[in-house]
Amino acid sequence: MSDQHDFVAALLDPERDCPAELSSWNGADPSSRFAVYRNNVISSLVNALADSFPVVLQLVGDEFFRAMAQVHVHANPPRTRILAEYGEAFPAFIEGFPPASSLPYLADVARLEFLRIQAYHSADTAPLNAEQITTALSQPDRLDGMTLELHPSAAVLSSNFAIVSLWAAHQGEMAIAQVDPLRAEHALVLRNRLDVEVMGIRHGAALFIQALRTGQCFGEAAEQALAIDPEFDLSHLLAHLISTGALTGYRFAP
Amino acid sequence: MKSTTSRTVSAASLALALGAAVAISAAPVMTAQAAENEKCFGVSLKGKNDCAAGAGTTCAGTAKTDYQGNAWKYVPTGTCTETASPTSPTGYGQLEAYKEKA
Amino acid sequence: MTLSLLADENSGAPALSSTLPLRAGIGLKSQHYRQILESQPQVGFFEVHAENYMVAGGPFHHYLQRIREHYPLSIHGVGLSIGAEHPLDEQHLDRLAALIERYQPQSFSEHLAWSSHGELFLNDLLPVAYNATTLTRVCEHIDRVQNRLQRPMLLENPSTYVEYASSTMDEASFISELIRRSGCGLLLDVNNVYVSCINHNWDALGYINALPLHAVGELHLAGFAEDRDSAGDRLLIDAHGAPVDDAVWRLYAQVLQLLGPTPTLIERDNDIPSLEVLVAEAQQAERQLALHRTPQRQALA
Repeated sequence: MSDQHDFVAALLDPERDCPAELSSWNGADPSSRFAVYRNNVISSLVNALADSFPVVLQLVGDEFFRAMAQVHVHANPPRTRILAEYGEAFPAFIEGFPPASSLPYLADVARLEFLRIQAYHSADTAPLNAEQITTALSQPDRLDGMTLELHPSAAVLSSNFAIVSLWAAHQGEMAIAQVDPLRAEHALVLRNRLDVEVMGIRHGAALFIQALRTGQCFGEAAEQALAIDPEFDLSHLLAHLISTGALTGYRFAP
Repeated sequence: MKSTTSRTVSAASLALALGAAVAISAAPVMTAQAAENEKCFGVSLKGKNDCAAGAGTTCAGTAKTDYQGNAWKYVPTGTCTETASPTSPTGYGQLEAYKEKA
Repeated sequence: MTLSLLADENSGAPALSSTLPLRAGIGLKSQHYRQILESQPQVGFFEVHAENYMVAGGPFHHYLQRIREHYPLSIHGVGLSIGAEHPLDEQHLDRLAALIERYQPQSFSEHLAWSSHGELFLNDLLPVAYNATTLTRVCEHIDRVQNRLQRPMLLENPSTYVEYASSTMDEASFISELIRRSGCGLLLDVNNVYVSCINHNWDALGYINALPLHAVGELHLAGFAEDRDSAGDRLLIDAHGAPVDDAVWRLYAQVLQLLGPTPTLIERDNDIPSLEVLVAEAQQAERQLALHRTPQRQALA
């Protein structure tokens, strides 16, 4: 095997001896120096996860988080050179990590946090302005078959757990003791200019946005949402999407 | 394809909803709310790629991981201990060190 | 090969690898974005890590674009892995080329180190053995970078904690030969020189004098952390989490004696202090630079 292959194997496996070809001027055990590299690889990646998942960290505490993150780093080291993208597999890892099973909501909180990172760095796309929407409104018979484009940052996460409340409780917006974690919630994540917002939305609103995301037309999306959730307020959701710049385009059916 | 006829949601109600949305979103109340949001959501992320070394020769990286698929010595100690848990007698999360059931 | 490509077609002279001003700059940190735009601090340039800006959009690009309008920029890569056994990641080079195209930096630099192995990214600057095989390989990688980017790069000397028994050259000779063959410039990290010289018991001035100093396009200054190896000797860690050490300031003064004024970056990546603290450290470097700025040199700058 190559030199660098051995080096990497030893970096990621603390049970392995450090590469035999390393030396030091003073005869110090090279493994005492190789430890600097081992520590930097693992601790820098654990730190990257701690930066990306601050609410998960607060929920379980620093010690538990770092120990859990270290297991993840050893099992799933980055396959990207861009650390903003690292952590995509962390929610699924948490879900399958038995010591975290006492907190069944933890994986979905992690999913929400990763959506926030993705929204933060997503592409800049100009929102529809009022004039463009008025143009669409001038052809009411074509609205049903119209498809709507959403800002790249906009994402919905539907969970069996109170992910929005748990997240908000860690932003100082409500007391954690008031949160019933076992209540299902739907989160809308989107970047409004420079800030990523997280908002709790109704089931119908979540269905509507997901339908638009999969390319279904306006009428179809609205119908699906209202069928499941008759109290879903379509105009209120659209107003929110317009005012936050989340509607970026529309296309009439040919 | 014209599927409008089979819809329970009419073209008129779609137009009404979108028209109302434009009106609501243009109202000053909405803009004030948006400005408010900007303040409380303005958390700026850090760049994570850098060229510095970290913790020196003694830290987690050289320790053997404690998790071998059966035992784990850490107990969640964060804010999760304050969440209400309907299944626990105290109403709070009952957390103990994980041990695989035999 | 590379040299002819990079030579200015009109003059026949090699293109400058850095056109940064002969001043002190600081690393650009996201927590300082707004304050920088509001207060426009007196620094010569900003430096960013390329990989932090390899994202589609959002605040990082929003602020960098605005700050770039007011300041010269150095793009410093930390993930290209020029010292790796594997070929360079062409996708990564494409992203780098796009970033450089977008921001038109005065300088692009990378490290004499490796940080990836196949698909894995280790997020650390790992040491290279110095011998004929690695020299050829690193040289090919630098050629590829310069050809793809259509500009010369600066290569940074590393901080290291171990040496390889398989090395047949000392680090300064290795770097000199790389620069001679590839035509790249040198980013002389004065803190790295100090750290490696303590860690391997090398002579710092001997090391510096063995380098092709005419190729230096930028200097780096940073703070280190201190540890001990198993023999009880000092082991310095390139932690970028503290102010520049007095010993490194002294070495910097000696470097300026040899080089004259040279663009100088204050690096801080951990425990980021307030903007004022970083600007004050850059001003300390500027005072040293001023001592070496003759009227003639000022005119040139």
